[in-house]
Amino acid sequence: MDKNRVSIDQIALLYLLLIMGGKFLTLPSLLAGDVGHDSWVSVAFSFVWDAVCLCFLLWAIRINDKAHLDISAILDKSVSKPVSKLLLAIFFVVFVLRTNVLLSGCYKMFSVTFDVSTNWIVYVLPIAALAVFAIVKGFNAVARTSQLLFGLILIAVVALFVSPLSEAEFGALLPIGEAGWGNIIWTSYSRSFWFSDYIFVYFVLDGIKIKKHVFAPVLTSFAIGATLSIVLNAVFVALFGYLAPDFDMAMSKIGVFSAASTTNGRWDWLTLSIWLLSVFIKMIVFIFCAYKCIEKIFDKNFVKVNWIAVAFVLLTLALPMFVTTEQLLNTVIKWGIIPFTLVQYVLPLLMPLLTKTALRKTEVKNE
Amino acid sequence: MKVDFSKLQTLYRGQDDFRLREIDCGIELKAVCLDTMIDDAKVSAFVLQPLAYVNNAKNLNDVYKKLAAGTGVRKPPNFFSAVEDFVNGYTLIFDAENNCISVDTRTAVGRSVAEPPTSMVMRGPREGFVEDIKVNLTLIRKRLKTPNLKTVNITVGKYTNTAVTVCYIDGIADKRVVEDAVQRLESVKVDGVLDSSYLARYLDVSKTVMFRRVGSTEKPDIVVGKMLEGRLAIIVDGSPMVLTLPYLFVEDMQSPGDYYENSTMTTLSRSLRFVSVIASVLLPALYVCLQVYNYQIIPLRFLITVLNASEAIPFSPLSEMILVLIVFDILREANLRMPSAVGISLSLVGAIVLGDAAVQAGLLGAPAVMIGALSGIGLFTLPDNTLILSLLRLLVTFIGGIMGLLGVIVSTLAIIVYLASMQDYKTPFLAPFAPDIPQDRQDAVAQIPVPDMANRPKSIPNNNGKRRG
Repeated sequence: MDKNRVSIDQIALLYLLLIMGGKFLTLPSLLAGDVGHDSWVSVAFSFVWDAVCLCFLLWAIRINDKAHLDISAILDKSVSKPVSKLLLAIFFVVFVLRTNVLLSGCYKMFSVTFDVSTNWIVYVLPIAALAVFAIVKGFNAVARTSQLLFGLILIAVVALFVSPLSEAEFGALLPIGEAGWGNIIWTSYSRSFWFSDYIFVYFVLDGIKIKKHVFAPVLTSFAIGATLSIVLNAVFVALFGYLAPDFDMAMSKIGVFSAASTTNGRWDWLTLSIWLLSVFIKMIVFIFCAYKCIEKIFDKNFVKVNWIAVAFVLLTLALPMFVTTEQLLNTVIKWGIIPFTLVQYVLPLLMPLLTKTALRKTEVKNE
Repeated sequence: MKVDFSKLQTLYRGQDDFRLREIDCGIELKAVCLDTMIDDAKVSAFVLQPLAYVNNAKNLNDVYKKLAAGTGVRKPPNFFSAVEDFVNGYTLIFDAENNCISVDTRTAVGRSVAEPPTSMVMRGPREGFVEDIKVNLTLIRKRLKTPNLKTVNITVGKYTNTAVTVCYIDGIADKRVVEDAVQRLESVKVDGVLDSSYLARYLDVSKTVMFRRVGSTEKPDIVVGKMLEGRLAIIVDGSPMVLTLPYLFVEDMQSPGDYYENSTMTTLSRSLRFVSVIASVLLPALYVCLQVYNYQIIPLRFLITVLNASEAIPFSPLSEMILVLIVFDILREANLRMPSAVGISLSLVGAIVLGDAAVQAGLLGAPAVMIGALSGIGLFTLPDNTLILSLLRLLVTFIGGIMGLLGVIVSTLAIIVYLASMQDYKTPFLAPFAPDIPQDRQDAVAQIPVPDMANRPKSIPNNNGKRRG
């Protein structure tokens, strides 16, 4: 068994967990700070772009069905090796930064919500160990884990935002577009770093098992994930109104309005913990992809786990010890938005063309 | 084929149970057997009596034809095969030219078929396997009256020469899985095989440290049920436990009586088993980390009760829980090794007196004892994996106690990733949930009525997906 092979159904569920895993930490408050109560509209716009890119990426998967070329082979053959390496390097940076932002968000959540304050290394070590364990066991094990847990996580997420619904003032979401449509669209672009979770698919392109349908399962997952994210953002703003930008741990703060009270206990924290499983799965997937980036940048095919590459990826998790998340967001991510857009939004649109070109060149070479 | 009689005689020289009898039936013959391994009546009926009426045999072939009327007469192809027959209770007959035939005169000393103590059922067949491979094969054949039931015989163990039979249904079982298992068994290099569990370790492809990867049961109806789904059965002489392959985690949750009960009741009881196993592993860890770090989650009244109960306890919540779990494991281990009559008293003394005394003395809190006991009892729904789950429970509790919910989440994910990565004989261990195989969910936790089960499980490789096809 190739331990990195995954089916399209597994991709679909993993994608759903990835969407739910990253959108409910600091993003809702950041968006509320940018566009006020129109944050959910901004999220909706981001998902429209994601949907278009996802369709193109799925098309590329279908084209690549028989040949099973990996991302490195496709890029090498279609846009030349140096450009390919550059793109892979950008991917690496995106994965490392996204993992670090998630780690920082979780760290803050644990210290703010669960009153557990610890130093960064002690906090990161078990997560890093888990990620390494997952790399050793293969991507297929992670995909299967997502199949096992997605139902539970989905229920937890729905429970988290359904319970405070009676307290929500949905009138606060009106008028729609008050922040200005230009501003809303710009925000959805400037915060695009948090979206395009499909980018992990690039790094399992060579191992996707396709049965009948490619588009249906993934697009269904996407639709569920996108709807949940939009609704959660709307509920968050409807609950906190103009104070929303000050409550930066959206998921844990929403529970304040739930059925929880001092008598019943904060049971919502248990559902929050279940949702955190998806955040950890997302971090594992991104660390795995960062590891794969190194493999492809150096034109290696690690049959066994390469511990030097693993160590290098894990070292990058120490970044928040030197740079705060705010500094990261205001400098690296702000200025890196253009190259990031290249791999997050431009590359998927070109993928069908690039895959066809790569396939044609492969066929010519074989002849 | 020639078999050197003098070599055999040399091998067993000085053995009290070595019997040699010379017979004249036209030619000079020597009959040898091991007295401790043969049935005197069979030797008399199948060897001595028939030969007493022969006085004009020209060669051993004539004798062979005469004896062929009896069952189990054959010509060993080589010396090793002859010795194997000999030590198994066959009588060997030699002529002067070292030609040899062996006659089955094995003794049938052993347990008679009875209800296995490890798999008692309210409904359903009560027959259980015994230590005799022949009887066990009979119990399977009795239920599978088809020429498609095939067997492959292997001998394993340098000194024990244990007979092993791999059974499968031709047309259902995947031949590649059969070949793989047979190959593994043939390559086993070991001094002796005293029980089927010895071989289970060799059949574990991924050499798993935790969790067993080969099924075992004492009930022939269960084995046949599994063979009908495409699995193979491996019978080992001297062991009442028959191994089955490939093996899924979900099989641990299935009880022998599940198929003889109403499917709704089965679904309910399987769900309870699932919940109790998950609760058993996670409950102590959650209790500790909620008490230490996240007490806000606990409802106020319950929190007050817990705090009152554990106020005077000299240990931290983590050490208290670890202590309770270890004491429970000690009790369980002692209970297993005690004679059954004493065992019941010991469990009572352990559970009531020791637990109560510890709480009264203020050493342990009542909630911790209750959680520990609940968690301990819950594990017994999976009797075969109790020990390993108990170890995991200790580990998760320890991590949860040190790192809080972060530790519980990380360790739970690590366990799931580990389980999800396991795949032997082309069968994912966590199927039909990870990977998700909708068709196989008809008999996983929920069970549809048996008449509606039209397909064999996809997760088990097989050559015929339709049950009645």
